[in-house]
Parts: sequence; structure tokens; C-alpha cells
Amino acid sequence: MKLEVRGLRAAPGGQEILHGIDLEAHSGQMVGLIGPNGSGKSTLLRCICRALQPTGGAVLLDGSGLEQMNLRQSAQKMAVVAQHNAYAFDFTVEELVLLGRTPHKRPLERDTSADRRIAAQALAQVGLAGFGPRSYATLSGGEQQRVILARALAQQTPCLLLDEPTNHLDIKYQLDMLDLVRGLGRTVLAALHDLNLAAAYCDWLYALQDGRLVGSGAPQDLLTPAFIRRVYGVNAQVQQLDGQLVVLYRPARREGT
Amino acid sequence: MRALRSRTGFLLALGVLAAALPVSLAVAASFGTNALPVDQVYTVIRWELGRLLLDQTIPAQWAPGTAVHDVVWLIRLPRLVLAATVGVCLSLCGVAMQAVVQNPLADPYILGISSGASLGATLAVLLGVGAALGQNAVGVMAFLGALAVSCAVVFLANLGGRASPVKLLLAGSALSAVCGAFSNFVVYQTGPDQAASQVMRWTMGSLAAASWPVNGVMLGIALLGTVFFLSQSRGLNLMLLGDETARTLGVDLHRRRLACLAAAALMTGFAVWAAGIIGFVGLVVPHVVRMLFGTDHRRLVPLSALTGGLFLLWADVLCRVILPGSELPVGILTSMLGAPVFLWLMARGRYHFGGGAA
Repeated sequence: MKLEVRGLRAAPGGQEILHGIDLEAHSGQMVGLIGPNGSGKSTLLRCICRALQPTGGAVLLDGSGLEQMNLRQSAQKMAVVAQHNAYAFDFTVEELVLLGRTPHKRPLERDTSADRRIAAQALAQVGLAGFGPRSYATLSGGEQQRVILARALAQQTPCLLLDEPTNHLDIKYQLDMLDLVRGLGRTVLAALHDLNLAAAYCDWLYALQDGRLVGSGAPQDLLTPAFIRRVYGVNAQVQQLDGQLVVLYRPARREGT
Repeated sequence: MRALRSRTGFLLALGVLAAALPVSLAVAASFGTNALPVDQVYTVIRWELGRLLLDQTIPAQWAPGTAVHDVVWLIRLPRLVLAATVGVCLSLCGVAMQAVVQNPLADPYILGISSGASLGATLAVLLGVGAALGQNAVGVMAFLGALAVSCAVVFLANLGGRASPVKLLLAGSALSAVCGAFSNFVVYQTGPDQAASQVMRWTMGSLAAASWPVNGVMLGIALLGTVFFLSQSRGLNLMLLGDETARTLGVDLHRRRLACLAAAALMTGFAVWAAGIIGFVGLVVPHVVRMLFGTDHRRLVPLSALTGGLFLLWADVLCRVILPGSELPVGILTSMLGAPVFLWLMARGRYHFGGGAA
């Protein structure tokens, strides 16, 4: 499924934060969204997944605008792993993952054994097989993050939106999670703050700064020391290590010594 | 504990509670100033049901007018049935309100319903407002007050954008304060006489005004409410995840929240109309059921309804026997009993709110 964003503007709380963003993710492509804190990555993702109403522009899925779909239809096409997932009440892991089946359910329909099988599969995919009866609140931050990914997987959508999906994860699970997401063959748009992970896993990167697109390209073309300095304000070296792009940061105070 | 959360654990509990309700009604009806054997209670109920459903004639020994019949069928049972239905309504509304405002501290009265009802009752008792409404003018005025305040809360919370849980809570507590102040003003102005204590008694809750016509209304409300909230259980689950997550799962919660609020306000209003304000049931029962059976509303709704009914039924029995020769307002007892039990469960169980162990 092809995801397109055209001239998207957003002003949550009255002040414009996104000043017209254009991007696209082709079918099966993994596209990264990079940029410093406050650059608008989360706002952009929230507009795309309809958590936030944009003030202008359009989001298209396979060429048809989101406005023409109801929420249920768009939830059948894209699933979201958001950044904050703390709930005021405790659910079991299985209950949470099963809620991912909601867009496929008619109003009063119950969960079937097929739904439970899909939920169990999703949990196994994120390495949490057998966690179903556990209480979500007692899990570690990383495990919670993976439960939310499992819920998105149980949604069985052709498109996945991820907002800093590796935030609370150990390095092993960061790699596992991105390996998994990449291996799904779905269209993925992921906001990532780790440039090394972005370089290793994404086919294409878009860089945001102050709500504007300031660059896009394949990782090896986009991520140059000059670019990183301009967008993030830090000094960095970029090296090739066994054919993989590696970004090394240098503390600012050693500059010039 | 985990066994209870399995599917069989749930079905078993549902069966046990559903069976316990009618059995409790009969057993509880044998308690009172004069204890009656349970089998006599059963016989009276059996013949009355036979008359109502199958048009049978009641044998003279059990007919209306005999002491046993009148005590069971006209005095004790109406009160017990009222207790059960009010308990069902309050627990369900507690479940719904906690989900609607995403706050574990919510109870059926959270949105100013109790203070609105108190204001209505105060006006009726002290100023004679609504005397034309007939016998239960106090109840009717309380019902109207409760509904008016709920509508006002929802309206205020929707000003300047959609109602969020926080706005609902804030509007609720603001209006509560206003209504409370007006009630106090009226009580203060008219002086602390008998009428004021009547208002006070009413705000402590009482099931003494039970009668079969009232019960008919309450039974209907309790059943309709249970069916409605059962049909909303997925929506209630999603409310606990928040509006944004629900949207990404294909559901806009705004209308569902309003529908649940309206249903809960109506049910609470009717409970207030029939029995005054009975605290703590609506807060505690949902939490106790959640501790044992989890948060999923498909289980929480039916189990809370039954538990709430049973809880208030037995609370009322205790109220009648605990002080020889007089009775305790049921609202006082539910708080006295409910709070320690709740704290004990909370301290010993592993009950988690989102942030961690409570």
C-alpha cells in the first residue's frame, strides 16, 4: 500500500507546527522520519493516523484520501505504535492485543477463536509468546512497547506507523523489533531518533526541522556530516563498516583540538 | 487469583452469582424482627409468582391478609428487590463513569449527580417545591435535579471543543460545589428543624420507601441498563485506552461517551429517586470485581451488576438487624463496611492501576 502525504499542515493548540509536508512511502518500503526533538515527527504521524485533525493538505492511501474513509476503514489499512502507552487501568496482555482486532469487528461482534489465534501469533512474533494472561502494568517498559507492537500486528494492516518504536528497548530488542518490522514486507513509516538504526533499516529517509522538510534521500546519500551538523547541531563522522553506514558523534567541546 | 481470570473462572462466577441473587432474596426475607423459616418465605413467593405468571389461586393459608404473606410479600421482599436493583444500577454506573472519565476514583455521583439530587430534594422538603408531583415529590425533585446537573456538566464540558475526561471531571466538581452551596443556603435559611433532618436522612440513603410499583420501574431500568452497558463493553474498554488510540483502532469515542453518560445519569437518577444517595457501592464494587476478574468490560459489566445487587441486598439486611429496634441508613453502612473491605483487598491483592502497584 502506498502512503502519500501532500502539503500537510497542522496547528494543534492554535500554533502551526507543520508547515506543509510532502512525503511518500511506496508499497513495502520502510521509510524513516528523522529530525531533532520538537521538529514535528510525532505531530506528523498523529495527523496521518487521524489522532489529530490537520489544518490543511491531505493524506492518501493508495491514492484515496483519508477524508473519504471512516475511521474503521482507515484503521483496517494502517496501525500505529505510539510513543506513550500508559493506561489508568490494568489490562491483561491478551485483552490489549485483542483490542487490535477492533477495526475488523462489527459493533456487537465478540472475539472469535480466530481472533485469539491472531493475537497469540502477534505476541509470538514480538517474542512474548505465553505472556497473554500477564498483567500489562507489571511488564517492563520494553515489554509494554512490544505488546503495543503486537496489538498493531494483530490489526493486520498493510501499513504501519511507528513513533519512536525503540524508545524503551534494550539494544537487542531494538534490533529485533526493526528486523521484525522490516521483515513484514508492509509499508512502514517510522519516526526514529537513532540515526544508526535509521541508516541500517530504512530504504529512504525524510528529515524534519521546525515543522519543515529539510532533506530526503537514501540513508547513505542523506546522512553526511554536514547534514547532521545542520539539522542536529552536532559534529559527527560517517563511516562505512562492513558495508553498513555508521554515524559516530563527537562531543562539541573537543571541537578543534 | 489467576484461575478466576480464565474463561471458566468467569463463567463459574457468573453462574454462582446469578444463582445467589434469587436464593439471597428468599433467605434475606426470613431475617427481620420476627425470623421466619425460609421454606415459608419460599412458599409465599412461589404462590405469588404462580398467581402473577400462571394465574393460579393462592390457597387461603398463604393468601394476602395472612401475617406471613404480608410480612414477606408486602414488607420485606419489596425492600430487598429495591436494594438489589439499586445496587445493580449503582455498580453499573460506577463501572461506566470510571471508564468515561478514565479515572479510578469516579463513582456514579462524580458528575455532580448527588449534589444536584440533594438540591432538588432540599427544595422539595424545605420549600415545598414540586409538591404537585405527588407522593414521592422529594424523589422526583431529586431525579430532576440529578438530570439537570448531569446535562449542565456535559454541556459545560463540551464548550470550546469536545468533552475530555478532565473537562468532565472539572465541570462536575464545579457544579457540585455550586449545588452543595445552594442546598446549604436553603437549609441554613429555613433553620435546623425537622425538615432539615429529613433532608439529611434522605442524603444518607434509605430503602424504606420500597413498593412494588417502584420496584417495577427499577427492575426495568436495571435490566435495560445491564443490556445497554453489555452492548457497550468494547467501547468501554477502548475508553480506557484514550481517544487517540481508539481512533487509530477505528472508533470515535465522543458519541459513545455521551451515550454512556446519558444512560448512567438516567440510571443514577432513578436510583436516587427510589432510595436517596447511597455512597460507596458504585465506587467499590467495580474495583473489587476488577481486582478479582480483570478490567475487560465484557466480564466486568455482568459481574459488577450481580455483585452490586447482592452487596446492597445484604447490606440492607444488616441495617435492619444491627441495631435492635431501629434501623441504620443503608448509606452509612455501605461506607462503614465497604471502605475497610476495599482497603484490605487493595493492600493484600496485587491490584494495579496503570502506573504500577496501587
